[in-house]
Amino acid sequence: MGDRKEARGTRDDEFQSFVIGRWPRLMRTAFLLTGEQHAAEDLVQSTLEQVFVAWRKVGSADDPEAYVRRVMINAHARKHRRRLKEFLAPKDDSGLVREIADTGDRIAQAEDRNTLLKALAQLPARQREAVVLRYWEDLTETQTAQAMGCSVGAVKSNAAKGIAKLRAIPGLAETVTQGGPKR
Amino acid sequence: MNADRETNHTMTDRDIALLLADAADGVEIGIAPYQAVIRGGRRRRARRWALATAAALVITGTSGTLALASLRDGNGVEVAPAVSQKPTVPSTPEERHVYEPQRTALAMGTYRDKPWRAAIEVWGAPRDKAEADKQLAAMTDLGLEPAGGRKAAALIGKTSFFVTRAYGDARPQQVMFNTEAKQDTLVGTDMEAAATRLGTSGESSGRLVIGEVAKTAQHVTCHWKDGTSTVAGKINANHDIYTEDPVIRSVDGYPGANWFVCVAPAGTSYESAEVTK
Repeated sequence: MGDRKEARGTRDDEFQSFVIGRWPRLMRTAFLLTGEQHAAEDLVQSTLEQVFVAWRKVGSADDPEAYVRRVMINAHARKHRRRLKEFLAPKDDSGLVREIADTGDRIAQAEDRNTLLKALAQLPARQREAVVLRYWEDLTETQTAQAMGCSVGAVKSNAAKGIAKLRAIPGLAETVTQGGPKR
Repeated sequence: MNADRETNHTMTDRDIALLLADAADGVEIGIAPYQAVIRGGRRRRARRWALATAAALVITGTSGTLALASLRDGNGVEVAPAVSQKPTVPSTPEERHVYEPQRTALAMGTYRDKPWRAAIEVWGAPRDKAEADKQLAAMTDLGLEPAGGRKAAALIGKTSFFVTRAYGDARPQQVMFNTEAKQDTLVGTDMEAAATRLGTSGESSGRLVIGEVAKTAQHVTCHWKDGTSTVAGKINANHDIYTEDPVIRSVDGYPGANWFVCVAPAGTSYESAEVTK
């Protein structure tokens, strides 16, 4: 009995470390998928709640990250399947625009971000997921396919279409030709 | 970049990766809401158990039906069972409280010579559009608006609850409410609470605290802004409420949690609340 309690305590500690450690990265990915601060928080929190339920299994797995990515992509896809209110297009009160541009560089940076997020928002969900996982999460096509629960061919197709659409957007092309984001 | 590993990418792909990284930096990270994640995770686990139990009951019921169906007389001729089975769940909309909710009083008192009262009402889930239309009409008659707005279709298959507060002769106002297919089950020290006023003026703002806690919670301590506190204790289900005593009680039609009420002394208001036992 005591051993079981101790094991549970250790698992709780591990899960807490996992949540705290992965929260920033997950938030960034969710932000790119949803395009909105609160939607990103909801997506990450809901993902972690599901991970908590299965933590005994996930925590001892070789690659818990892969499981978490899969849960997050599923949760994101589910929202689209249910045709819930789409929150992608950045609004005036989004986290993005709340950033006050007090210098020329910051204005330009905010414009770049806005252009990119708007462009992402115009992609179908599967293309957006493929682009975010491949180019932001930096996953291989195989890893992306696992996260999306589809074939490598589908990943290639969705990523290629997504990137082609992003390239075709004038504002984004202009940003890219100017040398990418100002850091 | 991993993205370079499997296909031949151009410089533009790298630029897009940089743009994505930069856009991702636009999110406010904040502090990881660990406690909220744990609470949500426990609720999900509880719901999963509830679903598993419901599935087990369905299977049991099916086996019973099969056993009855195979009853035969001495000549091998199938016979109908002598005693017909009574339905185990309410079947009519009235029995399911679709048009008339189950109401439970939470607290009542007097403020500035007028009575106030807090109550909760739980409306059963309509099974089809006709039932939902009639339920929405009944809610509208009482001045209630469900969580999904005034759309009857959004009520089908969902239970609705409304915590209301009334003052004087005015129509009760909804304070907390939700419409869900599966009610939450609270566990441990989980709590959802809201602070509202007793009367209509802002002077009593934050004096009335209403919330839900796990069935196992025995004490809830409400802390007030002046540093004092009030402890609500659990009472029996059949206890009639006629006062503003701080209590925790079960609510008809709401199996996943108990509800509590605390009233702040005059001159102060809600600071926080917690399950303390």
